[in-house]
Amino acid sequence: MSKYIEKISRLFRIIKENGGVLGSVRTVFRMEELKTGTLVGEDELGNKYFHNPMYFVGRSRWVVYSDAAGHDYDGSQVPAEWHRWLSYISDETPDKADLPKYPWLAKHTENQSGTPQEYVPYSTTRPKIQAWKPKTEEVYRKHF
Amino acid sequence: MASVKLFCARASAQCVLRNAVRPTYVAQERSCYKQVGKPEPDMRWKPIMDRASQTVFWTELFSGLGITLGHIFKEPATINYPFEKGPLSPRFRGEHALRRYPSGEERCIACKLCEAICPAQAITIEAEARADGSRRTTRYDIDMTKCIYCGFCQEACPVDAIVEGPNFEFSTETREELLYNKEKLLNNGDKWEAEIAANLQADYLYR
Repeated sequence: MSKYIEKISRLFRIIKENGGVLGSVRTVFRMEELKTGTLVGEDELGNKYFHNPMYFVGRSRWVVYSDAAGHDYDGSQVPAEWHRWLSYISDETPDKADLPKYPWLAKHTENQSGTPQEYVPYSTTRPKIQAWKPKTEEVYRKHF
Repeated sequence: MASVKLFCARASAQCVLRNAVRPTYVAQERSCYKQVGKPEPDMRWKPIMDRASQTVFWTELFSGLGITLGHIFKEPATINYPFEKGPLSPRFRGEHALRRYPSGEERCIACKLCEAICPAQAITIEAEARADGSRRTTRYDIDMTKCIYCGFCQEACPVDAIVEGPNFEFSTETREELLYNKEKLLNNGDKWEAEIAANLQADYLYR
């Protein structure tokens, strides 16, 4: 019996942590799940990372994407430092692990496919063949 | 011959002895059997009808609904991607990246070992001497649609320049976006270097 009482009290606690009934409905609408856990950290994009070993591995670490992303959250919005922790490669959060910091490191961007910033391939070499430009071209343009 | 005779005499003596004690045998009483398997169903018409109606009608339906209700309260066996992600190895072979030295100088020296070993022939390299005289690539293209993610390129690389990073979320809407050139690969390296370096550090004893 105490098992069920504990589960019901956990349900109420989770609803309270998610900001009451209305906040819980909003969380379920966005994340399809209500969970409780300790806040482990926050990255520069505003994503919050949570941990609760009560859930099994694979569900015990999760990210709440920043409110700026709204409902356009994407798996690629997790920066490299936190990706390592979130994918269970390391148990150390980025502030505890000594990850290299160089001035030339680029800022994290999400997968930009389908947006105006998407990557379009181009050649990084000079063309090997120079096109021949006939002198008659101007004459041709003038008359036709 | 004598030994055979002796043997026969012993055998017959044993036989006689056994017959002599037979009336005193105690046999185990085996009149009480227990059915341990499933009992045979009663095949008279009334029990058959009762069983059929029980199967078709309410009892079975409600027991099925009870199981469904129980599963609602069970912890799910799936993970809630993209909020939760599955565990990865530090050796995970994902999207390619070209790394740099801590000074910011690109590592690749255009030895073309990766191009040679690539079983899918996805890598194209062209090299030239730079203005300062060092040999660097001018073209480093990977056709990600051809790549089979075998990891031979990062194993062949003598300077750890080309690596397969931990990122697998690089799906695109068009095919041409997967034809990576050198700038894209270097940019990947700049974005993921923190994690790539840490993963290599975690795994260097086994390489």
